[in-house]
Amino acid sequence: MSGVAARTGSSRHPRMFRTIIGTAGIAGLGLIAVVVALNNVVARVSAGAVHVAPPLLAPGAGFVLGTDALGRDVMSETVHALAVSFSSAALAAAIAVFVGAFAGFAAVRMPLRLGEFVRAVSGVVRTVPALLLAVVLVALSARDFSTIAVGLAICPAIFNRSFDSAMRLARSRHAVYARASGIPGLTLLRRDLVYELRRNFLYVAGRALAAAATILATLSFLGFGAVPPHRDLGLMIAQARDSYLSAWWCAFFPALALVVFVLCARFAATDDNGDVS
Amino acid sequence: MSDRAPLLRIRDLAFQSAGAAKAEIEGLSLTVHPRDTLILLGEAGSGAGAVMRLLAQVPSSGANVSGTIQIRERPEQLLGKSTVLDVRTAYLPGPHANVLNPHENVHSQLSLVIARRLRQPKKSAAAELDLALQRLPGAPSPDALNQPPARVAPEALAAGLLAAAVAQTPELLLADDPLGELSPAQAQAFASVLKAEQERLGFALLYSAMRADAARLLGGNLVVLRSGRLIEEGPVSRLATAQSHSYTQTLFRASVPGDGAISGRAAARGEPLLRLQGVQLKRPGKSKDREKITFELRRGASLGLIGEIGSGRRSLARALLGMEPVAAGRIVFDQVDISVLSSAMMARLRRRVSFITGDDDALDPRMTIFDTVSEPLRAHLAMPRDLVAHNRDAALKRVGLAALPGSRTVATLTPFDRRRLQIARAIVSQPLLAVIDEPLHGLDAFAQSVVRDLLRNFRSNEGAAIVFITSDFGLARAFCEDGFVFKEGRIVERGTMSNLLRAPQEPHTRKLLEAVAVLPATGGADMKPVSGPAAAPVAPPTAEP
Amino acid sequence: MWRIWLRGAAEFLGSIAGAILLLSLLVVAAQPPHGIWPFATNVLEQFLRAVAGDFGRSTATGAPAMIVAWKAFPATAQLMASGAVLALLIGIPLGFLLSAGRTLRAAAPLLQIVTAIPVFLIALALIWIALRSFHMAAPLHSRNTSLASLLNRGDWSGAWFLYLLPALTVGAAGAARLQLSLQRAADIAWAAPYRSGLRMMGLGLFDINLRFALPEIVAAMLRDLRAFVLALISAAVIVEWIFQIGGAAALFLKAAASHDWSVVSAILFLFALLVIAVGFLGDVFASLILSEEAR
Repeated sequence: MSGVAARTGSSRHPRMFRTIIGTAGIAGLGLIAVVVALNNVVARVSAGAVHVAPPLLAPGAGFVLGTDALGRDVMSETVHALAVSFSSAALAAAIAVFVGAFAGFAAVRMPLRLGEFVRAVSGVVRTVPALLLAVVLVALSARDFSTIAVGLAICPAIFNRSFDSAMRLARSRHAVYARASGIPGLTLLRRDLVYELRRNFLYVAGRALAAAATILATLSFLGFGAVPPHRDLGLMIAQARDSYLSAWWCAFFPALALVVFVLCARFAATDDNGDVS
Repeated sequence: MSDRAPLLRIRDLAFQSAGAAKAEIEGLSLTVHPRDTLILLGEAGSGAGAVMRLLAQVPSSGANVSGTIQIRERPEQLLGKSTVLDVRTAYLPGPHANVLNPHENVHSQLSLVIARRLRQPKKSAAAELDLALQRLPGAPSPDALNQPPARVAPEALAAGLLAAAVAQTPELLLADDPLGELSPAQAQAFASVLKAEQERLGFALLYSAMRADAARLLGGNLVVLRSGRLIEEGPVSRLATAQSHSYTQTLFRASVPGDGAISGRAAARGEPLLRLQGVQLKRPGKSKDREKITFELRRGASLGLIGEIGSGRRSLARALLGMEPVAAGRIVFDQVDISVLSSAMMARLRRRVSFITGDDDALDPRMTIFDTVSEPLRAHLAMPRDLVAHNRDAALKRVGLAALPGSRTVATLTPFDRRRLQIARAIVSQPLLAVIDEPLHGLDAFAQSVVRDLLRNFRSNEGAAIVFITSDFGLARAFCEDGFVFKEGRIVERGTMSNLLRAPQEPHTRKLLEAVAVLPATGGADMKPVSGPAAAPVAPPTAEP
Repeated sequence: MWRIWLRGAAEFLGSIAGAILLLSLLVVAAQPPHGIWPFATNVLEQFLRAVAGDFGRSTATGAPAMIVAWKAFPATAQLMASGAVLALLIGIPLGFLLSAGRTLRAAAPLLQIVTAIPVFLIALALIWIALRSFHMAAPLHSRNTSLASLLNRGDWSGAWFLYLLPALTVGAAGAARLQLSLQRAADIAWAAPYRSGLRMMGLGLFDINLRFALPEIVAAMLRDLRAFVLALISAAVIVEWIFQIGGAAALFLKAAASHDWSVVSAILFLFALLVIAVGFLGDVFASLILSEEAR
């Protein structure tokens, strides 16, 4: 019941530094969200409009980011594709975080060591890379369900993290003392959910968003993701493959948008408070 | 003070760590003579740690150091953050200080330290360590240290660390409160060994202590520090008396064991709260070897479970709370046989149990001060919000935490504040039974004094029955009416505290009593060091010649 | 020590059985029979067959799925192995460099930028650089030509495109993963409380780092080997598709697209086996490095 706690060191990066990076990430995501919300205003032509200008026009005064092989405005197309990528990734991340985190915390409280069984199954699922799992799920359903498939493919990682964290908390000395003085299990579950959500939400959500965006773009690039005419960034890059050696801008700007989006999500995830055990 | 030439003399030392808002030490002067003991006594943040770091010659990058140092009779030299001192020093930390790698075995790590300090091959350093261990009375065998630190008992680890330090044949031993976290009996034994080694090897001992107990055990000269400044200095025998500075008196008063034993017997207090009938604890071995425990704890009464760590006192505490199944017997809590209760019913029953422990992890580090105190009220009683706030604020006021912002998390609090917060949480719970487990563990002298007063106040105002787990007979005397003395998983003696103090029957009980020098009648304490004339703390009628 | 091996072996076998069961579920769920009982019977039959090595027949070629997968596997294994070597050569020195001190750790955001780039973008960028900056010609040969014969013929462009670029891309993905786990492990090791304790007792930083911190870092990295292999597999899938390498990873995509579930499950089983085996070895060696029995 008692004993001296092992005093372990903490802190990874200097606190100030992490905060600046995290703030930059959150601000970047906010800016992207604004661009996405106003995509019809920011983009000068509607999504998928072809032959608005001569094909493969280099970036210049008329078309800031140039045009592609079908004469589409690369800037407008990039903004529309970013909107598709952002909303799909956000939905996939939301599914993964909600299902994974909640199931992880709830599984620890399951009777008859059922939670540990689910954790073992999830461990086995994680022997398959999330990308391959997403491909299988899309192939089992349809390309229209790629967002849900990606959300479910990321889920085991978040479930495992939440489960391990919840298990550590359930076995922690403060939880033992709380149970010994009659604090109900539901109160402890609520306590864990609220505090862990407050402390780690940015980290888990940021990482999930980055992973979802990367996998969704890769799926589209491989032909398992977005279905035309709804082009996301991955599909835009895939369609620019034939022309990007001569017209680099066709692939470069959507790629840049994708990297910046993933980077912002990752930076936002660095501003976590770390685990408490 | 000695007339001999000093081993080292420090003048006007000032020390400020990189990035620290204020200096850790300001204008401190110290003189250490060969073979002498100098104790730096002060609470956390007194500056003793900085003196240790400086003399151990661990470079503090970016620190601001000034002052002079004179070693033996050589010319004085200026002190800097990387001044090379021509003194053979060895560092002796406490067994709980996590100074060793958790994966590597203790013997190997200590051998490496000796090898590097003596510039020897590791094999001969290991032989030196084994030799030093053989010389220490009561030290573990070298094989016992062939384990990672977590698997070595604290007293064995302390002995290993001491052996490693003396194997370096130091001129100056820097001891970082190794007695601080040992039980009184272990601390007494360790102090005797330390003093014997000092006598044999003739090193000077610079001891950093948070509590006056160490000064009482080791004797020598004392320097009292507070916030990096010297408050008072002189021999322990003088400073331990009333003629000293008020701060010094506070520190010594806090270490006086068992000041004011409680009076009265539990029998007349009321209905039984907890009844154990023929209870056998689950332990390895045949069931007929297990003792049957029968006792009754009445409402408002108090029972001490006294023994060293691992003696079995916590097993009994866990069993009587239904947290550990028993092999046989019946436990009745608040007139309910707990063996027939479902886990949900048991949880309801436990609502009237509170814990106050020396474990700093007993409270959720993520919770705020307000949430920590309010939780039992919200979880157990459907109380209106304003009433919860009223009770919470009243409890925080009683323990002296009302001034802290309620939104501060437990993780940011000092061990002293956490301990008081536990008491506040216990107060609002209005428990029938409070389990108080080594409540002064790891606190400095001042904090111990305050927590002791708060517990006394809690005991007299709340009317809860108390199960007090401790290795300190002095504390048990102050809080308990009855006591069980534990050794190696068995109850070796039981009875009223007054009987245990007056006429202990078992040698183990006498050993525990002698360790805290509890005097039955006066309630005072002998301040003489153990190496001095026999202290005769208790003179039981059956004492061995 | 035998306990470590025994526990690891039990987990290893359990994981393999679990993987086979999940893949059997996948195959049956792709064309589910009506009713729960037939479904369960089919899963059990599929499981027992898979345990015996029979994952069914490819719907495209009619050949046994495991044979099809196994034939394609060496190309992927070769790609992953060369990627792993490059990842070790790049990732470990880079990770140590970036976790060595406070100043260098300020470069962490750079690392984030590098690791944020999806693998397919790295591949496209490398191709672009090779063709546009170094004016290389696209390869004339297929990947069936060995690297040695390409070099003998002096076909540097072929060697570059067919072997080095794919390996570099997979290596970059592996290196990113490797140095992330290295940095995480180093962060924990640098903050350990025993460092200051041993310093006070008289040990130098060199001793502390070499004898205590390094084994902890290596053990943490070994425990993270699973994630490293997962990153290599994901990268291999993309690289084989872009560079048109006829390996198991590209075959997986084709089989998934054509709903050839027997082949999909056979390939996934081979990948899972690889991950489980590497994870098992990593865990055992990590335990050995940190355990008393090993000393």
